[in-house]
Amino acid sequence: MASYKNPQLRDRLAAEYVLGTLRGRARERFDALLRSDYELRRTVATWEARLSPLAAAAGEIAPPARVWQSIARQISGSASIESRAGLSFWRGLAVASTAFALLLATFIGMAPRPEPPMAMVAVMNDDKGQPALVVSWPPMKEMRDPHIRVKVVQQHPEMAPGTAWEMWMLPGGKAAPVSMGLIGIDRDQVMKIKPALAQRMGDAWGIAMSVEPAGGSPTGVPTGPVIFKGQCVKIL
Amino acid sequence: MNRPPPDAFAQELAALLAQCSLKNSNSFNKLYHLTSAKLYGVALRILRRQDWAEEVLQECYVNIWNHAGNYAPAKSAPLTWMTSIVRNRCLDWLRRPHTETTGEEYEIAVEAWQDDAPGPMEQLMASAEAAALARCLQQLEAKQRQSIMLAFFNGLSHTELAGHMKQPLGTVKTWVRRGLERLKSCLGAAT
Repeated sequence: MASYKNPQLRDRLAAEYVLGTLRGRARERFDALLRSDYELRRTVATWEARLSPLAAAAGEIAPPARVWQSIARQISGSASIESRAGLSFWRGLAVASTAFALLLATFIGMAPRPEPPMAMVAVMNDDKGQPALVVSWPPMKEMRDPHIRVKVVQQHPEMAPGTAWEMWMLPGGKAAPVSMGLIGIDRDQVMKIKPALAQRMGDAWGIAMSVEPAGGSPTGVPTGPVIFKGQCVKIL
Repeated sequence: MNRPPPDAFAQELAALLAQCSLKNSNSFNKLYHLTSAKLYGVALRILRRQDWAEEVLQECYVNIWNHAGNYAPAKSAPLTWMTSIVRNRCLDWLRRPHTETTGEEYEIAVEAWQDDAPGPMEQLMASAEAAALARCLQQLEAKQRQSIMLAFFNGLSHTELAGHMKQPLGTVKTWVRRGLERLKSCLGAAT
């Protein structure tokens, strides 16, 4: 391929790159060059500025609603729960709750009950940072019917008619929340979870609970306000 | 269209992108609603298939969300930045081996771009920031203008242009190159 040092050639290639007529291997080489060549990136940006008004004349066509739904699902791990729930979702997920979780885990672990030891625990706080639920589970590998235990720490909120409480496993990073199922109003309950989810619980970053229509979220992601959430702490 | 003038609009988009880099999903939602019809139009023109355009649009918005922090207001206008992301992704998409086009799909799009077709050119003239470009485009020879527009709007490669315009490849390449050179000098050769 010709020298990329010739200024005329560089400008021409940048123009055809932006226009879109630079194709195939030539485009790949150019892309690679762009990563290390600051001046070339500037030349490209100049051509983008020259030609981009043309794009405005392409005509506007509203994309189908499913496009946004899919995007929202893909970014929900990083923030969309916050906007849906209208809560500062990650507020209070800091050191204090972790310390509290550890304390509580010690307590749970020492409780004189014929239970397997807990592998992980999450203290779920309300929007004021007060602990509301404690979720814990033994090592999933050792369970034939995987389940988690949900205990109410304080006063339980009222479940409004026609709504349900759905639990979500937050895998962390940019991954979307995974539904764990619905819980009832008992103060101490055991919730069965699917084997596929059980395998991922060891990597859970946090747990959240949202208010959903009866029967659970229709979309597979939280649609209602997240009222409790907490970070997971590994015990075993 | 009930929108603020371009500068205010650009400022609003830049502010929303800044919020997106802080992972404010409400701002991202707003950004999507202000820009998605434009970007979908761009993708649909190039890809000519709704399912592909939807997929590319999804990918690009997720990218914009993840890399909003890379947007540099000093270097480009927000919509230019976003449009380039979509256009580049579309062109990557067309590079895939199974996306060969038959040549018939873009007839409709091309008809809309006949030299005397008023619609798109009027649209272009209507935007203040684009008026200069429209004026320069009109100064090009018809064949140069047509090949540049077909390449830009409809994502045609040199080979596809040659096929569509029933001209030798070398001739079409020259039209494109000369057309771009003349556009540059017409718009002012500041680099």
